[in-house]
Amino acid sequence: MAEKAILFDTSQCSGCKGCQAACKCWNDLPSPTALNADAPSFTGTYQNPPDLSGVTRLVMTFSEEQGGPKGIKWAFGRRSCQHCGDAPCATICPAGAIFVDEATGLVTTDAARCIGCRFCASACPFDVPRYAGDRGVINKCTGCVDRVANGLAPACVTTCQPGALSFGDRDEMVARAEERAAVLRERGYADAVAYGADEVGGLHVIQVLKYGAAAHGQRPDPAVNPAVQLTQVMKPVTGAVTGLTVAGLAAMFALGAGYKRDRRAYNPATGDTLDVDTREVIKHGDGQDTESVKEHILENLPRRKGGDHE
Amino acid sequence: MTSHWCDFQNADVILHCGSNSAENHPVSAKWLNRAHERGAKWIVVDPRYTRTAELADIYCPIRSGTDIAFYGGLCNYIIEHDLWQHDYVLNYTNASYLLDPDYGFDPATGLYSGFDADSATYSNRSWHYQVESESHWDTAPGGAYAWAAAPGVPAFTPPTVEHPKRDMTLADPLCVWQQFKKHYSRYDLDTVCAICGMDKETLELVYATYAASGAPDKSGTILYALGQTQHTYGAQNTRAMCIVQLLLGNIGMAGGGVNALRGEPNVQGATDMGMMVNEHPAYLKWPNTTDRKSLRDWMESQTYADGYYTNKPKFLVSSLKEWWGEHATADNDYGYDWWPKVHAGGLADTIIPSFEMMEQGKIRGYFNWGMNPANSAPNTANVRQCMSNLDWLVVVDQVATESATFWKAPDMDPASIDTTVFLLPCALIFEKPGLILNSGRWIQYRHQAVEPWDEAKPDYEICDLLWREIRALYEAEGGANPAPVLNAKWDYYVDGKIDPRPVAWALNGYRVDGTDFARAEVDLCSGYGELAADGSTACAMWIYTGFWANSEAPLDPEKQACCRRGHEDPSGLGLYSNWSFSWPSNRRILYNRASADPAGRPWSADKVLVEWTGEAWKTFDQPDFVAAQGGVPVPPNDNAFFMLWEQNARLESYAMEDGPLPEHYEPFESPTDVNPLNGAFSSPCIRFADYPSTKRGTNEEYPIAATTYSVVEHWQTGGQTRMCPALIEAMPTQFIELSPELAAEKGIKAGDKVRVWNNRGSAVVDCVITHRFKPMTVNGKLTHLVGMTHHFGWAGVYATSESMVNDLTPNVGDPNTQVPEYKAFLVDIEKA
Repeated sequence: MAEKAILFDTSQCSGCKGCQAACKCWNDLPSPTALNADAPSFTGTYQNPPDLSGVTRLVMTFSEEQGGPKGIKWAFGRRSCQHCGDAPCATICPAGAIFVDEATGLVTTDAARCIGCRFCASACPFDVPRYAGDRGVINKCTGCVDRVANGLAPACVTTCQPGALSFGDRDEMVARAEERAAVLRERGYADAVAYGADEVGGLHVIQVLKYGAAAHGQRPDPAVNPAVQLTQVMKPVTGAVTGLTVAGLAAMFALGAGYKRDRRAYNPATGDTLDVDTREVIKHGDGQDTESVKEHILENLPRRKGGDHE
Repeated sequence: MTSHWCDFQNADVILHCGSNSAENHPVSAKWLNRAHERGAKWIVVDPRYTRTAELADIYCPIRSGTDIAFYGGLCNYIIEHDLWQHDYVLNYTNASYLLDPDYGFDPATGLYSGFDADSATYSNRSWHYQVESESHWDTAPGGAYAWAAAPGVPAFTPPTVEHPKRDMTLADPLCVWQQFKKHYSRYDLDTVCAICGMDKETLELVYATYAASGAPDKSGTILYALGQTQHTYGAQNTRAMCIVQLLLGNIGMAGGGVNALRGEPNVQGATDMGMMVNEHPAYLKWPNTTDRKSLRDWMESQTYADGYYTNKPKFLVSSLKEWWGEHATADNDYGYDWWPKVHAGGLADTIIPSFEMMEQGKIRGYFNWGMNPANSAPNTANVRQCMSNLDWLVVVDQVATESATFWKAPDMDPASIDTTVFLLPCALIFEKPGLILNSGRWIQYRHQAVEPWDEAKPDYEICDLLWREIRALYEAEGGANPAPVLNAKWDYYVDGKIDPRPVAWALNGYRVDGTDFARAEVDLCSGYGELAADGSTACAMWIYTGFWANSEAPLDPEKQACCRRGHEDPSGLGLYSNWSFSWPSNRRILYNRASADPAGRPWSADKVLVEWTGEAWKTFDQPDFVAAQGGVPVPPNDNAFFMLWEQNARLESYAMEDGPLPEHYEPFESPTDVNPLNGAFSSPCIRFADYPSTKRGTNEEYPIAATTYSVVEHWQTGGQTRMCPALIEAMPTQFIELSPELAAEKGIKAGDKVRVWNNRGSAVVDCVITHRFKPMTVNGKLTHLVGMTHHFGWAGVYATSESMVNDLTPNVGDPNTQVPEYKAFLVDIEKA
């Protein structure tokens, strides 16, 4: 399979949030609804929920600005994983829970492996991965690699009625984006750009941004924190001993990124994730019998490639 | 719709006015984007900058309720700049017809000739044409209308064909064109801008861009929805669009048309089935107490003298045969007298007066089936008070709606309400098989996906249970008027169970001889041309004939036209004639004769629907005209609109209740004190304004113009969508949208709750402060506009709200349809 990408053309997007709802449905993610409460989370805009969260992998953003030929620029944006070519989240993940799907280049996840360390969240140049506290795992777009492996497009793309989302070979998506941005510039949208061809090693979500990157909530020049590369030095040293890796990297990363993070440790005997400082179990693992402990350890040894369902 | 969803891709200019299709009809965006990619210009005229406006090229603000001023100005612009399509207007419309010498309009009073002030109604006598000559039907054996005198056909005097007097030079001052020109000459750009509130530069850009579709080979489409219809002159808004499209030659063209975007998946089907109180299924009229007292009266008042509706007797008798089966005979006028008669005018029993009658104790019991008026009707505060006078209320719905729980509303006292409420749970669309009909008139069959939840049943099953009980009661006890119940044909069973497939046979029509429903043997008709007025055919919906015509497999939907899934498209225009079935007669684009010039040459070489080759008609779509008679091709003529007796479209129409040409009137509640165009101010024919419950507010008390609308995340009263957590999360509350200017004036900040009120009610809602609403200058006065969504209420599980936005909307109606004026009214607001 050739390298794949999602193409999002903001100039064809009607802001209907069908993608947002489809993402919830396909991935079986809950939507918080306060019972009989009067909308505690209303943002005062059309952007609801306000941002990504432990249960939300895709949010449509709505940014208003005065100006332009129509007096107002209402820029719809897609806030989700961009599937970086040099995915810092996958690089830094000590547990192999985030990894690049070889067949497509999409950056996918295996929640069963996640230890909830949240390094990925710190490493992401787009501030995408979110911690699902109740489940103790990181939540982010998987690229629907399960669907893609079966010949389908990601759920968000399939549901898009206006045709703002497409899915296909990355080269083709990049070419189409460039072409479309040029058409938009000709039509008076002077700031229209294609986005994603080269950013962070080349993204796998390519976008046509009608009013320019910033207007649609995209970083004009996303950069990876150098600390991410630095952590790689530690990886071979700590090797397969995941618990040590966690502790070691946590210290390093906290230093390099300037973040004060909770420190986590993984107990391979029980499968539990512990808070290093308090020794409290943050996430109960499933490694309660010998066989599954062995399996868990094996899984965490050399990183395997491929998706959740090999 | 005169066209269909896929046809939007063929437009050269797209005009949204009174609709927000990217938001409320998401699939439309697919086809509109295709047109846009091709280079079509896209215009949105709306009180606020919508999600559709973001997709479009041009956005033009407009004060809600001033669409006729906008369209009148467009007509004037088209005429002044000579952008109308001359050959089209001259040959295919009534522009050249001479009007009655008494015809007139007086701007000083704002009244047309024929107004009766006491009844606030018009006599349309003077709106008719002058007659040049008369001719008569040839009903002799072998004559064109021999069928009308055949055995079994009810006796009636055929109508006289009145040939209107015409002036093909369009110079006669009494011709429609001259009157039309004069009427709209008052709608100059400055006047329109003063009324509607946009700036002149934007208006001119919109006019110039849209009027460019008047080039013969170009087409423009107008997409409208409830933003046009929910006014006290909503039907005239629709007329205004038709007129513009006729001037520009856009009706009948691929990529053209007047396209009503229907708000529910099957609302076009419901309309066809007689949703309007005065409309019998398939756009025939119910009996009444004036000109349709008897079958003979019906035939004589309803049968057109010329055009396709000369066949109406065939459709009516076939319908009677389906209603009463073997009990309908020539001797008893096919059971015509068993039908109920609607009140004079036919519209006395629509939704607004229904509640008034509850208040007066005239309506004691109420079936509330598939609607939720305690949330969706105008002036809901009044609605729930009226409902509390009922002895009993039956609500058939999927969830316990506000109507089912009207007594639980925050301002109601359950202890003092004696109404017995029955909630009958019904199946969702995917829990039952059945037919559905979309805005593009496509009839499709939907298979059952899952079993209904718990005790829920399909509506038709609930109907059947009720029917059996009621009929049994009449059989056992008689009653005031048992004949209609005891004589009705009700045999829509398969294996003893009520089933939509025999209903499909009834809708499609069949020959009575050779049909036995009980044995599932049906001699189905393949087109409505096969229907007869002599009782030999039965058909409940003549317009649908052909959608289920395979007599070889009457029980197999997959072998019927409505289930076709062919992708062939020889036209290259996305007609997809082998995909499902489009009524009438699988016609995809109505009035397609008008896509070619009087000689039958297509106006556009790229948009060929029909073409006269010199010997015959080459057709990609089912011709909407007489292309051949008795197998012999009929050469081109001017009869492009053969569903009208004139067979020409009406720029001026005598058939409207409130005037032959659309004229700008102010809403029932208006933020301005002036109507620069006429002395009537608001519509002289406005309905129900005299009800005390309407509690009209003035702009001194309530200076802010308000409108209501839907958002894509929710649907109607939210009964279904507020059950879906992902949708609640995507739009968790109802809100008011207002400009930063108004917010500053009222001290309202983002995150505040806002109280919105008028004489009818008060609602506390969240707010969206946005530049997408802008204050405008209306007749010299700074005017603020706000808009509110209306999907929430006290019923349901998630995101309930104590406040009902429709408490604020006025229960006044359009004189033609009695549709309420949800879209323009007055409020005041404050920080809650």
